Amino acid sequence: MKSTNLIRFAVLIFSVFGLSLEGPTAKSQVELTLAGEWLVTSSPINGQTASPKGVSLGFPDRDMVFQQQGDIRTGVVLREDVGHDVRPLGVWRVNGDQFSTTFQLWCPNEDGPCGSIVMRGRFVRDDKISGTMTAFFDVFDDRTPTGYDTWTFSFVGNRTAAAASGGSN
Amino acid sequence: MNLLAAYLRKRLARALTVIVVLLAITSTAFSGNELAGRWTLTISFPDGPGSSTTQTRTVTIDVFPRGESLHGRANITDDAGRRVGATWRQVGKRVSIAYELPCPGDTPCASLILQGRVKGGGVVIKKGSVIVVWDTPNNRNPALYDTSNGTFRGDRIE
Repeated sequence: MKSTNLIRFAVLIFSVFGLSLEGPTAKSQVELTLAGEWLVTSSPINGQTASPKGVSLGFPDRDMVFQQQGDIRTGVVLREDVGHDVRPLGVWRVNGDQFSTTFQLWCPNEDGPCGSIVMRGRFVRDDKISGTMTAFFDVFDDRTPTGYDTWTFSFVGNRTAAAASGGSN
Repeated sequence: MNLLAAYLRKRLARALTVIVVLLAITSTAFSGNELAGRWTLTISFPDGPGSSTTQTRTVTIDVFPRGESLHGRANITDDAGRRVGATWRQVGKRVSIAYELPCPGDTPCASLILQGRVKGGGVVIKKGSVIVVWDTPNNRNPALYDTSNGTFRGDRIE
């Protein structure tokens, strides 16, 4: 009788312990992806309203759509508020819960400076991201290691739509 | 009469020179230097944050036409056959190409921004510069991540 109870107790403990181990392990095996649509809100770090060389980006909210076709991971910022053909393009990758995405700025004024954006962040949840965003403008700045005018932001993003299956670029 | 003929010859020669120069400028500005096509890029940059050892990677980039857009897409294939997407923009001869390195295993990973000028009638990019943004955070760097500089050269294949 005692040994039967002991076995039942052991099974119960193993079940509970097993489940508690399985939880995060199973969760960590979920492959996180940027694929889908996100509303990303950024704000300059330290409240700077322009880059050290005086370049501005102008808009805090970005409607971003990421896609994946095989190994090709692409992104686009929808700026239909400015024009339906204004679509800055980017690329991305994910490593665990960390991600990186890089975009080219949209610069219709050929005489003005242009630049590129690198975003680094992590998944808070599968539908929420946060991180920092760095703009590298095509303006020489000898105070930065790269030699380019550099401006940083923090951002948070919320998924507004899941990835469309079988979509195209 | 001879004076008039000489004068006309001079005017004609000047006019022809202007036409030739205009044709050259037009073809260079509007078609010859467009990045679209297939290129070999030879990219040199440190093999990790703070490293003084330089690695050189040769990749093939298939640059798709951007049509009327300011931006275009591209695919990059490295010498190990790994393929990733890229994006590019161009104003005149100045081009910028951005992509995420394919990073197998524990090798340091980074984002690359390549900047250069298309020359030679659209067949070569010489002495291009590269911004490397590593994955390692660095609060002392204005970019908040470790960065390095590199160089690249581009040679058109098609």
